Amino acid sequence: MLLVATFVLHIFFVTLALGTSGLSLFGFWWKKGNWPTLARLAARVTPNAVGLGIVTGIAPLLFIQVIYDPAWYTANTLTGFWSVAFIFVVMGGYSLAYLFYLKGSPEGRLLWAAAFSLALLFFAGWIMHVLASVSIYPEKWLQWYAPGGAVDTRGMHFHAYNLPRLTLLLPIQALLSLATVLMLLAWYFRKREDFDRSFLDWVASLGRRIALWVVPLFWLAGMGWAATQGRYFDLHGPMEIWFTLLALGLFLFYRSLRNPALQAPQALGVWLVALLNVGIMRELVRAASLERFGYRVAEYPWQLDWGGVTIFVLTTLVGVTVLAFLVGVLYASGSKKEGVEVSPALERLGSVAVGMLGAWFGFFLLLGVYTVIFLR
Amino acid sequence: MFPIWEGVWVHSAMFIAIISAFHVLASHITVAAGWFNLFLERKAVYENRPELYAYLKRSALGLLVFAYVFGAMAGVGIWQSTTAANPRGISALIHNFVLYWGAEWYMFLIDVVGIIAYYYTFGRVSPRTHLKIAWLLALGGTGTLAIIVGILSFKLTPGNWLQSGLSLEGFYNPTFWPQLFMRFFLMFTITGAWALLIASLMPKNFPERERIIRYAAAFGLLGLVLALIVFTTWYYPALPEHARAILFTPAIPSPTFAVIQGGLILTALGLIFALSAPKLQHPLIALGAMGVLFAAIFGAERTREVMRKPDIIHGYMSSNQLVMTDVPAKGIRAEEQPLHERGMMKNLPFLQLPEASSLVGTQPVAREHQLEVGRLLTLQQCSACHSVSPQTSLQIGEKRLELRSLARLLEARNQTTQASIAAYLGAIGGFPYMHPFVGTEAERQAMAAYLAWLVSERRGMEQARR
Repeated sequence: MLLVATFVLHIFFVTLALGTSGLSLFGFWWKKGNWPTLARLAARVTPNAVGLGIVTGIAPLLFIQVIYDPAWYTANTLTGFWSVAFIFVVMGGYSLAYLFYLKGSPEGRLLWAAAFSLALLFFAGWIMHVLASVSIYPEKWLQWYAPGGAVDTRGMHFHAYNLPRLTLLLPIQALLSLATVLMLLAWYFRKREDFDRSFLDWVASLGRRIALWVVPLFWLAGMGWAATQGRYFDLHGPMEIWFTLLALGLFLFYRSLRNPALQAPQALGVWLVALLNVGIMRELVRAASLERFGYRVAEYPWQLDWGGVTIFVLTTLVGVTVLAFLVGVLYASGSKKEGVEVSPALERLGSVAVGMLGAWFGFFLLLGVYTVIFLR
Repeated sequence: MFPIWEGVWVHSAMFIAIISAFHVLASHITVAAGWFNLFLERKAVYENRPELYAYLKRSALGLLVFAYVFGAMAGVGIWQSTTAANPRGISALIHNFVLYWGAEWYMFLIDVVGIIAYYYTFGRVSPRTHLKIAWLLALGGTGTLAIIVGILSFKLTPGNWLQSGLSLEGFYNPTFWPQLFMRFFLMFTITGAWALLIASLMPKNFPERERIIRYAAAFGLLGLVLALIVFTTWYYPALPEHARAILFTPAIPSPTFAVIQGGLILTALGLIFALSAPKLQHPLIALGAMGVLFAAIFGAERTREVMRKPDIIHGYMSSNQLVMTDVPAKGIRAEEQPLHERGMMKNLPFLQLPEASSLVGTQPVAREHQLEVGRLLTLQQCSACHSVSPQTSLQIGEKRLELRSLARLLEARNQTTQASIAAYLGAIGGFPYMHPFVGTEAERQAMAAYLAWLVSERRGMEQARR
C-alpha cells in the first residue's frame, strides 16, 4: 500500500512536469491572448516539479526494490544501459527546463531548450516504462538475455513496452495533472489583487476544458491497455469495467464543476484518487504476472527489526512535522504580492519543527551509543 | 543471481564511480552549505546585516538548481547503476536497511522542499521565519549524511551484524562514527570552495564580498584540518587490517594517492590564498578548486570501494555476488561452497544455457561451447571489477580505456595459455584483493579457455592496430 501511495505522489509531480513543460512550449508558440502569461507561470513550475518528482520517486523505487526484487533487478540488468542512462537523461531535461525558465521564459526565447527538455523528460519516462514492462514478463527473460543462446550483456534493447499503457500513464495523465494544477493556480491566486481576475477565470476554465476533452482519451487508452496487457494477463474484464467507471466518474465530476477556481481543492482530491486507482491497477497487473510463477507479495518473508522500525517511525513523525511547516510557509508566502508575516500558529509549528529535528540527532546519537555499548 | 550487465564502452563499475563521485560532490555541498548559510543568515538577522541576503539568495539559487536536485538525481543514479551492475549487492543493502533508507527519504524531502521554500521565500516572510527554514536545511542535510554513512560503512565493516543479524549493529558499525565525523568536516572544505565560487561571482562592489570569501576560506581550512585529524587518529586506525593491507597493493593504482593528496594540497593552498588575499579571488580559482576536489573525491571514493575487495559486503558477499558466510540469525546460508562442489552452471539462474549444459558432466564438449561457458563464468566471476571483453573498452587515439582489463593483466603476467591460466585461476585466492575461483574443475578449464582466447584476441587487435 505504501508503494502505491508514494507512487501517486511521484507520478503526480512527474506528469505535472510533462504537462507544464508542454504547456509552456505551446503557450509561447501560440502567443495569443493570455497564453504567454500562462506559459511563463508553467515554465516556472516545470523544474520544481521535476525536482519533486525525483525526490518523491525515491520511496516507491525503494519499495519496488524490496518487494519485487527478482523482477526489478532482472529488468534493470537486461536493460542496463538505459537504466544507467536514465539519470543522465533526467539531468539533461531538468537542466534545460531550468535554462528555459531562467533565461528564456521571461520573453519566450530559447524554445528549443523547452522542446529538448520535454523530449528528454518524456524519454526518461519511456525508460522507466520499459523497465516496468520488462519486469513483468519473466517467461521471456532468458530469451532476451541470450537470444539464440549467446548472452548479450549490453542491455541496450527496449525489450518490452505497451503503447496504450504508456500513453495513459504519461501524456494523458500529464494533461489531467496539468488541468488540475491550472484550477489550483486560479484558486490560489484569486485572493491576490495583483492578479487579473479574468485571467484566473480563464486559467481555471481552461483546466476544466482540458480535463473534459482528455477524459475520453483516458478511457480509450485504458481500454487499449486492458485489451493488450490486460488480456495477456487475463485481467481485461476487470480493467475494462474499472476504467469505464473511473473515466465516467471523472467526466461527470469535471462536468459538474460550476466554478473550477473555487472547487480546485476537490478537483485535486478527485484526481489523486484517480491516480491511486491507476496505481492500484499497475500493481494488479504486476501481481497477476508474477503470480503465474508463484511469486506473491503477501507471502514475502519479513523479519521485524526493531532498530529500523524505531528509526523510521520517529523520523516519520519529525519529517511530517517539518514538511507541514515548509509547505505551510510556501503556501502562505505567495498569498500576497509583497509577502506575509506567517500566522503565529505556523511560526510555532516552525519552532517545534526545528526543535524536533534537532532532537532527532540526540535520539540518533543515543541509539548509536546504546548499540555500541549494550548490544555488543 | 541475475543477468550480467557489463557496461557499454565504459565498464559498469566505472559508471557507478562517476555517478557516485558527482553525488558526493553535490550532496556534500548541500550539507555544509546549509551550515555556512545558516551562519551568515544568523549574522544577517542578529547583527542586522541585510546585505548578506544578496549572497544568500545567489547561493540558494545555485544550491537549488545544482546541488540539491542534482544531488538527489545522482543519488537515484547510484541506485540505478548499482542495480544494473551489481544487483545482489545493492539488494542485500536495501533489504537490511530499507527502513533506514525510508527515514532518509524524509530527510531528502526536507532538503528539496526546504530549498524550494528557502529560495522562493526570500523577502516574502519575516527574517526570523526564514531563519527557521535555514535551520531545517542545515539539520535535514546533516540527517541524510548521518543515515547514509551507516549504510556505506556497513559494506566495509558489517561488524556484529554477521552474528546477530540486527540492523542496528550493522548500521552503527566500527567505522561508522569516524567516517561520519570525517565526512562532516570534509564537507566544509567542499562548501568552502562552493562559497568562494558564489562570493567571487558577486559584483566587486558588493560590500560583504571579501568578508564572505574570508569566512568561506576559514570554514574550508578548518574543515580540512579537522577531517585530516579524524582520518589519521580515528578512521585509519579503525579500518580492518585487511583493508589497510589492500591500500598498499596494486589493486589501487599508485596515481590515485597522488591525485588525492595533490587535490587536498592544492585545495588547501587555494583556501589559504583566498583567506590572505580575498580581493584577488576569481571565479576561475574557485572553479579550479572544485575541479581538483572532484578529482580527489573520485580517487578517495574509489579507494574506499576497493578497500573491501574482493567483497561487496566484507565477509558476507563477494564481488561475484555470491554469499560466502552463513548468517544464522537471518536464516541466510552460504552459497559458495555448495556451488564450488556442484558447479556454477545449471545451479544458478541465468547460468544455464541449453547449449552449454553438456559441460556439466564428463563428456567432451565442443570448443565453442566451452568458450561460451567460459565467457559466462568469467562474466559472473570477474566482470564486477574487470573488463572482460572489448565491449567495455574505449579507444581514444593510442590509448585504450578499460577497467583492469583481464586480458591485459594476464598478458602482463605472461599467463597466455589455457593451462597456465587454469593454474593461475586455481591460485587466484592468494591475492588479498582477489576471491578464489568458484566452480568445478571442468568450469575452471572452460574459464581458462575463454581467457586464453581473450588474450589472443587482444593481441590480434593490438597488432592489427599497429
